[in-house]
Amino acid sequence: MKEWARRIMDEKVREKYVNEVVEKFGDRIISVERNADNQWIIEINREDLPEVVGYIVNHPEWKETQLSTMAGADERPLRGKFSLIYWISINGASGDVFLGIKTYIPEDDPRFPAVTPVHPGAHWYEREVKDLLGLIPEGHPDPRRLVLPDDWPEGVYPLRKDFHYTDSPKREFTDETKYPYREPPKGTAVFPLGPYHVALDEPGHFRLFVKGEEIVDVDYRLFYQHRGIEKIGENRLTYDQVNFIAERICGICGTAHALAYAQAVEAAGKIEVPERAEYIRTVMAEIERLHSHMLNLGLACHDIGFDKGFMDAFRIREHVMWLAERLTGNRKTYGMVIIGGVRRDFLEYRRTMIEETLRKLREEFQKWVDQTLSTRTFIKRCEGVGVLSYRDAKRWSSVGPWARGSGRNFDARRDHPFAAYKYLDFKVPVHKEGDVLARCLVRAEEIMESIWIIEQALDEMPGGDILAEWKEIPPYREAVGFTEAPRGEDVHYVMTGEGNRLYRWRIRASTYNNFPSLPDAMRGNTVADAVLIIASLDPCYSCTERVQVVDLEEKRARVLTEKELIELSRKVSRRV
Amino acid sequence: MEAERIAFSFISLCLILFLPPLLDGIGRKVKARIQLRQGPSILQTYYDLTTFLSVEPVYPTERLAFRLAPYIAFASAVSAALVLPYGRVIPVSFTGDIFVFLYVLAMVSIAYMVGGFSLNNTYTNTGANREMMMILSIEPILGVAIGTFALNAHTLRIGAIPFALTFTVSVLLAYGLLAYSVYVEGGFIPFDVAEAEQEILEGTFSEYSGYLLGIFKWALMIKRFALLWLLSSFISIPFVRNVANGALILITQLIVLLLLYAGIAVIESMNARLRIDHVIRRNTGVFLCSLAVLLLAALGW
Repeated sequence: MKEWARRIMDEKVREKYVNEVVEKFGDRIISVERNADNQWIIEINREDLPEVVGYIVNHPEWKETQLSTMAGADERPLRGKFSLIYWISINGASGDVFLGIKTYIPEDDPRFPAVTPVHPGAHWYEREVKDLLGLIPEGHPDPRRLVLPDDWPEGVYPLRKDFHYTDSPKREFTDETKYPYREPPKGTAVFPLGPYHVALDEPGHFRLFVKGEEIVDVDYRLFYQHRGIEKIGENRLTYDQVNFIAERICGICGTAHALAYAQAVEAAGKIEVPERAEYIRTVMAEIERLHSHMLNLGLACHDIGFDKGFMDAFRIREHVMWLAERLTGNRKTYGMVIIGGVRRDFLEYRRTMIEETLRKLREEFQKWVDQTLSTRTFIKRCEGVGVLSYRDAKRWSSVGPWARGSGRNFDARRDHPFAAYKYLDFKVPVHKEGDVLARCLVRAEEIMESIWIIEQALDEMPGGDILAEWKEIPPYREAVGFTEAPRGEDVHYVMTGEGNRLYRWRIRASTYNNFPSLPDAMRGNTVADAVLIIASLDPCYSCTERVQVVDLEEKRARVLTEKELIELSRKVSRRV
Repeated sequence: MEAERIAFSFISLCLILFLPPLLDGIGRKVKARIQLRQGPSILQTYYDLTTFLSVEPVYPTERLAFRLAPYIAFASAVSAALVLPYGRVIPVSFTGDIFVFLYVLAMVSIAYMVGGFSLNNTYTNTGANREMMMILSIEPILGVAIGTFALNAHTLRIGAIPFALTFTVSVLLAYGLLAYSVYVEGGFIPFDVAEAEQEILEGTFSEYSGYLLGIFKWALMIKRFALLWLLSSFISIPFVRNVANGALILITQLIVLLLLYAGIAVIESMNARLRIDHVIRRNTGVFLCSLAVLLLAALGW
């Protein structure tokens, strides 16, 4: 293990944080339990939530500390109560600790004081538990729906245990079904962007309130493609199966999700992963970062009409896709990570091929960077655009290149060393300007670092097994698993259950923490920059298409109405 | 003489109508090669136009302005191209046609705005708005450039100017202004703000479909052709005007035009789109410089 990793994984450093919280809140803390190597769960009363969470997140000396994830669970079958757990990570290379602040909420009074007024980063989490579990955050500034569709009936909460995963409540989609969008501020017009827009590769609806071309404020509606993956994972699939569903959460950063999930279960079940498997996981995660960053840089060029940069970036990216295909059999969705290790070994004779590809990649990418950064119009469009201040990035608990472009010095690979990162040396690029250019530079520099990481990992990779055997995972243990996905910290929370199944699975993709800060970055810019700023956040993509019914025998095509489409989709999901 | 005139007028009309899609195709091919792509056939733009023209449009509004705008743009673009010289022949020529040229060129943009403002759609409105700002900031520069040439050549017939130019400092500077304004008004990257696809879904075009869209796109291609034909005439004719054979002059014009198109495709590949405020700032600066050029011309330099 490298010196830097030993320093932050030191027991004394870790305990310092727990002890300080325990000392500060004394007898208001009900219990403290160490559930995994770097994770503690502190139980408190629900009234103390805003104070305790706010104290840790806004602690003046724990600089990059942030809210990593929050999970609500229906623990009524176990304890007759709901539970909430706020996971806070200590970042900035100041100690490898995750603190889970847990509280129970009685069934007959499902309310809790919202943390959002103290720390806006909790904004989406608290709206989500309200939608999915019916726990009411009191004092939340924006109590509108977040996840559930507009025509979902009131009072039906899909993540409660008494809601069977095949259930589908009766929904009436009428002309009156509307989302309560904010009224535009006085003197502004609404500029709608999406759900379908050439430059948005994902359905998302933005309402830009504009004066002329200047954006005064932004309202948005997302979750058009909420798939209920957590519910399926908790009810239908076994631990191993969930791993492959986890990989399919995202079309771009699947390995990051699979890895985060596997690590969460390994932490909960105390499974030791063989060292060689850790190295292979690291290489796969970095290969994924390479292709994801190149995709994003290319799309940023495309959004401002610089198609030369776009085409070149995608051509260079092809080397990475091809490399992934040779190593795993797939260009994307590698299917490499499983609980306890990896599925395939790297064959020794592949090594020269990887090194050769990396050499080509480094050379061509450096050329790309030089060419793009010397394009004056590109710089002109990116410089000073979409500025996210450090304060806002911290306030919203932003992660990844989006936050590192604003000066947040925080990277899960360095601050919570997982897989083989603790054996390697690498830099974490940080820029302070907070504009689109800074984020592009962070990504470009990270690509160079990733190539360096893969080279080191290949050099130092030990021999041995690639998969640890495990038999049973004890029920009702909690843990989080975390990775640095291309877009930032990815956190999966699991609570193990009986019968080889999860009791609760909470996925938190990096974009989830970044999106709420988007309006702050957009205000004061022009409509022309809107798509560029959205692209520089690098939202996760997944594409949905309108459905046509094609009668093969009569060779006729018919376009479905919205209502028919909804009906048909429901019928299909019921059958599955 | 009359036979030559009729022949050249016919050829010029054919060029105006049917050459622009080919030029567009060449531009696409050049860009593709720079991006190391195969690229579509250079005839691709003809295929696109044929498809558009054979499809019935969808009308988002009942307003007549919306239906007429493409035709106005088309007619204006063709008229602008007709006052330019083709060989030794100018299809339509009269004293003062220099103003007509500027006027009908602006009409193409105005048709684009009319189309955009005839709908209650933020994308088309933004596109129309941007086009208005573009035209207001670039047309004066084009006017000053042509005015400088006219002062030098002592004629108000735009087609006759290149045959009578004498090279002075102000004329050489005016060439720079002409090239700049032709590039900007042609809406090439980085100045394609009014038809920006990723930002505002091609502005006014976002609501057009079928043959109306085809005619509109065709009109814009003819406008680009007219602008570049103007530039290529001003570049080539002063060097070949002593050649008696009109056909040779026409061929020179064509070759310069092709070179210009290829050069523009290269510049387009090397740039990202600017924002409208960048464009306005830049145009204002160039306009101020252009006034100095006009002053030089008035002093006889």
